[in-house]
Amino acid sequence: MDAQGANDTDDRGASAPHARDQQGAPHGVSEPPPGPRTGVAALSPRYQVGVALALAVVAVAVCVHIGMVFLHVAPSNTVTKQHGKAIDEWIYPEFEQNWKLFAPNPLQQNISVQVRAQIRTGDGSSRTTGWYDLSARDGEAIDGNLLPSHTQQNELRRAWDFFTATHDGSNRPSGLRGALSETYLRRIVVLRLDRADASGPGGVVERVQVRSRTTNVRPPEWSEERISLKPVYRVLPWWSVPGDEAEGGVR
Amino acid sequence: MSRLALAVSRGIARVTESALGPYQTAVIRIGFAATWLLFLLREIPHRHELYGPDGPWSWDLAEQLIGANGAFSALMWSDGQLWFETVYALGVLTSLLLMLGWRTRTMSVLFMVGVLSLQNRSVFMGDGGDNVLHLMCIYLVFTRCGQVWSLDARRARRASEARARGERVTDRTGPALWGVLGLALLAVTALGRLDGDWPVPALLWGVWVAQALWWLAGRLTRTGQPRILLDLIANILHNGALLVIMAEACLIYATAGWYKIQGSRWQDGTAVYYPLHLDSFSPWPALADLLSASGTMVMLITYGTVIVQVAFPFTLFNRRVKNALLAVMITEHAVIAVVLGLPFFSLAMIAADAVFLPTSFLRRLGDWAARARGRLFRRGRPKVPAQRTPDATERTGDAEQTHVGFRA
Repeated sequence: MDAQGANDTDDRGASAPHARDQQGAPHGVSEPPPGPRTGVAALSPRYQVGVALALAVVAVAVCVHIGMVFLHVAPSNTVTKQHGKAIDEWIYPEFEQNWKLFAPNPLQQNISVQVRAQIRTGDGSSRTTGWYDLSARDGEAIDGNLLPSHTQQNELRRAWDFFTATHDGSNRPSGLRGALSETYLRRIVVLRLDRADASGPGGVVERVQVRSRTTNVRPPEWSEERISLKPVYRVLPWWSVPGDEAEGGVR
Repeated sequence: MSRLALAVSRGIARVTESALGPYQTAVIRIGFAATWLLFLLREIPHRHELYGPDGPWSWDLAEQLIGANGAFSALMWSDGQLWFETVYALGVLTSLLLMLGWRTRTMSVLFMVGVLSLQNRSVFMGDGGDNVLHLMCIYLVFTRCGQVWSLDARRARRASEARARGERVTDRTGPALWGVLGLALLAVTALGRLDGDWPVPALLWGVWVAQALWWLAGRLTRTGQPRILLDLIANILHNGALLVIMAEACLIYATAGWYKIQGSRWQDGTAVYYPLHLDSFSPWPALADLLSASGTMVMLITYGTVIVQVAFPFTLFNRRVKNALLAVMITEHAVIAVVLGLPFFSLAMIAADAVFLPTSFLRRLGDWAARARGRLFRRGRPKVPAQRTPDATERTGDAEQTHVGFRA
């Protein structure tokens, strides 16, 4: 164990001797040692104090940081309940992280976000479109794609997650984030409708309605599980689209 | 007792007198920079929709969110189209230069600015891969990740060769770059654009001041003591950051693994089946069906994934087991890249894994890459006369050959 341990550190730091020649040229092995200026020993006591101080500060910072990140990713526990605020202050906004990748359980439902629009046509009358399945379009774009774009894989999916996380069962928003998520989702669906040319020539999108369609993934063939495959809908109220938004945005 | 003291003093010498893992830090530098570079290039057609001022997550929405959380984003300094294009282009350029190791420290800072600016601008566009890059680009700033496989290493080697011939070497690019960036930093600060959370602005100023001190210490002081002090501090910071990077990678696997253990699907051995059948993660439905045709197979992969993720941090105490598991994880991520359609997530994870690769393997990899490049290059033009090497008996090292390729 000891020998292996030594090996292992060796493995990561093997080039320590090379690193000493500043430029880090890895093969300067035959070069003479670069004169008297090596390491702590070459420093006067005054400067050695500086090194010790730096070492102490960095050591403490590293330990605190690793500890904070650990507590941030750990399940809620005694320490996080008592010191949650301090941990959050250290972590947010730049060190936020979430590694529950497909855990504790992978998502077992396909959630499609669909939209329909009320269009004011060129001649002043009004019509309602059918439902556009935006998630299905993303799915098609991903099919056979070695490099799916974040716009196809994350945008709508995460916008919907954001919406459901900031709204209650009766679609009432909570706080600033709730309001932001509504605007965001609306802007996404308006953009997608525009790309699908839903309004037709001369038409303008006046209102949109979003719904989600949740279907359980069919259990594996070799499983004896039986679950309902009937889709469940969550229908949001109609939202009016501000005039400039229906026109502008990214094409 | 004295043995303990001896061990402690040896340990202190080790972490102060050298920046450990030069190859490991170089490979993660190249890995993360390449991941972000490829991502930015891939998303060029979608850049406005992802991060542009008129995208669905509009500048106004971002401003409201960032006003509440204080995250750093240079894109919030202006809602202009031109500014957005500039930041995106600079993001591409700095990733490329960091990958090549040109002015590595400065580029690592600008790389961080680029990554944070885009990601914090549109937080809801990212996934796990973005999250890895977000953290690692900050940690990289503290490392000396350009010691090998970099243009900096080549420049330093040439400078020392020139000095050995008795020539004077003056670096004008460095001070110029420092001056320009200093002015930019000053302007941004004066305009009050760095008023968000303090850590990132403090880091920007800190690096800028440190570079000035480093230069002054090399120039003005006669004893050389201040320069050695700064060198040792840089080593300490590097080694601390390297430890944090390794710990972060371990935490990623530990969290991913331990939470899975609690899930019923990971317990009953069907978990891997489900992501393969989600519309967002199934670019190859036929392949997914093939992979999940056998229940036993799915269960083996499911259990194997959990075991590897939970076990990995503990295997660091045993070199051989660690390397075996590393190979398994890198393979699994390569498979995920294609099967689940997550290429950039997988690349980022592989880059993070690479920090644990053994030095001997990395040097072999470097030699191999240098030879491949040399062969490719020789075909293009007449053979150049043999290089002057300080020691003819030395085998031609990777760094020696690297610069042949980088000149292209």
